[in-house]
Amino acid sequence: MDFKYLASKIGIDDEDFMELVELFITTTLSDLDKIKQGMAAHHPADVGAAAHSIKGAAGNMGFEAISELAKRMELQAKAGSLENFDAYILDLEAQVNQLSTN
Amino acid sequence: MGNKQPYTVLVVDDNLLNLKLIEKSLSKEGYLIFSADNGPDARSIALDKLPDLILLDIEMPGENGFDVIKKLKDDAATNSIPVIFLTGVSEVDAKLKGFDLGAVDYITKPFHPLEVLARVRIHLKLSIATNSLIQDQAAKLRQVTKAQVAMMPLPEDHPHAKFGVYYKALQEAGGDFYDILNISDKITGYFVADSSGHDIETSYMTASVKALLAQNCTPVYSPAESMKMINDVLVEILPQGKYLTACYMHINRTTLKLTIINAGHPPVVCLPVKGDPFLIKSEGDVCGMFSDAHFGIENLNVNKGDRFFIYSDGLVESAEDKITWVSGADGLLPVYETLRDVPYDRAPKEMISQLFGNNCCPEDDIVLLCIEV
Repeated sequence: MDFKYLASKIGIDDEDFMELVELFITTTLSDLDKIKQGMAAHHPADVGAAAHSIKGAAGNMGFEAISELAKRMELQAKAGSLENFDAYILDLEAQVNQLSTN
Repeated sequence: MGNKQPYTVLVVDDNLLNLKLIEKSLSKEGYLIFSADNGPDARSIALDKLPDLILLDIEMPGENGFDVIKKLKDDAATNSIPVIFLTGVSEVDAKLKGFDLGAVDYITKPFHPLEVLARVRIHLKLSIATNSLIQDQAAKLRQVTKAQVAMMPLPEDHPHAKFGVYYKALQEAGGDFYDILNISDKITGYFVADSSGHDIETSYMTASVKALLAQNCTPVYSPAESMKMINDVLVEILPQGKYLTACYMHINRTTLKLTIINAGHPPVVCLPVKGDPFLIKSEGDVCGMFSDAHFGIENLNVNKGDRFFIYSDGLVESAEDKITWVSGADGLLPVYETLRDVPYDRAPKEMISQLFGNNCCPEDDIVLLCIEV
């Protein structure tokens, strides 16, 4: 992923962008924990709220694939379904881990 | 908002990444950022720091953005701070609700930091322009107040008129005024009026009516004729819906004859040298509304030392206590009795002090004249 391009696209310098990427990873992993807890407790609303948070943050950073995936999870969870979420989570974790090795 | 102080923006979002992103974008442009990740903290910071602008996320756990903006707008300390809310692109209802609650704009999420910056700039500019307009208008209104007070004659400048006065305009452009007319050495006219409204237009009316009084209250006209002519001119010049309630009292200290012309105004109180205080009730139309207005006219023989009180409805009415001057005027009669031994020039202030205490805070403008024959 081209962080330099994304940084210039949202109008901040590279150093600040890297700091935000680290913060994004931390908050998204925290939101992923909330999603897992929500799944264990069968609380789709909690899962939806955490997915909403990831969607917004990823959208703001320009991480469109992550934002799209989180949006799909949010809509589905808010409709009451947690089907396929194990797969979604694996996908999301992989994408987030990829950011840290970028 | 001073020139050298940085502009301050409070950013409220439960997502730390969003907070940080906005903080970084705005702070590098010279803004000072406060941030909160929940509603109660946001309100507390808003009250404490009084930021120049607030960026507020709608969807937050617990107290959401709608709750926050509603409470901010309900608080006089924070209700003028412009609020821009952050909302999802498809949430039309949320946008409408945000505007209903007093937001000035919205930014859709995901947001672009440069768009946030642009909207913050435009709304700060609007806010600066509005504040400057308000300050400008307030300064002009203060000038009007000074001019209006300067137009009210002082007892020390009219010793033969033997009157004392209490005058207080509740707002910058007060609706009450009075005038003293030296018709001759022994004949004096006393005019008290309350105009509908408390705006600048109203205070300009004071100058117009003063000019009309000076032209028409002369020895060649009877008090009723004077008031009729003033009414006819006011009907022509007053804007639609504007009128005065007025009382014109004419005392001839040689013949000891007194005439009161009442135009929809609260009744004059007489405190005779001998006897209990009483109301001089006479009904009449308001002034400046109808060309064929009919005013109440009362002619009395008076004695030296008799006192008369003319006042505006602010003295006897209370919207809070649902008292109108019809009942309020009667209720105050015992108070006038207590003023019998107070010199006439001090009686109005003493009366106000008795009614409202020393920290006078009436609900409306008040003018109160005490006149001794």
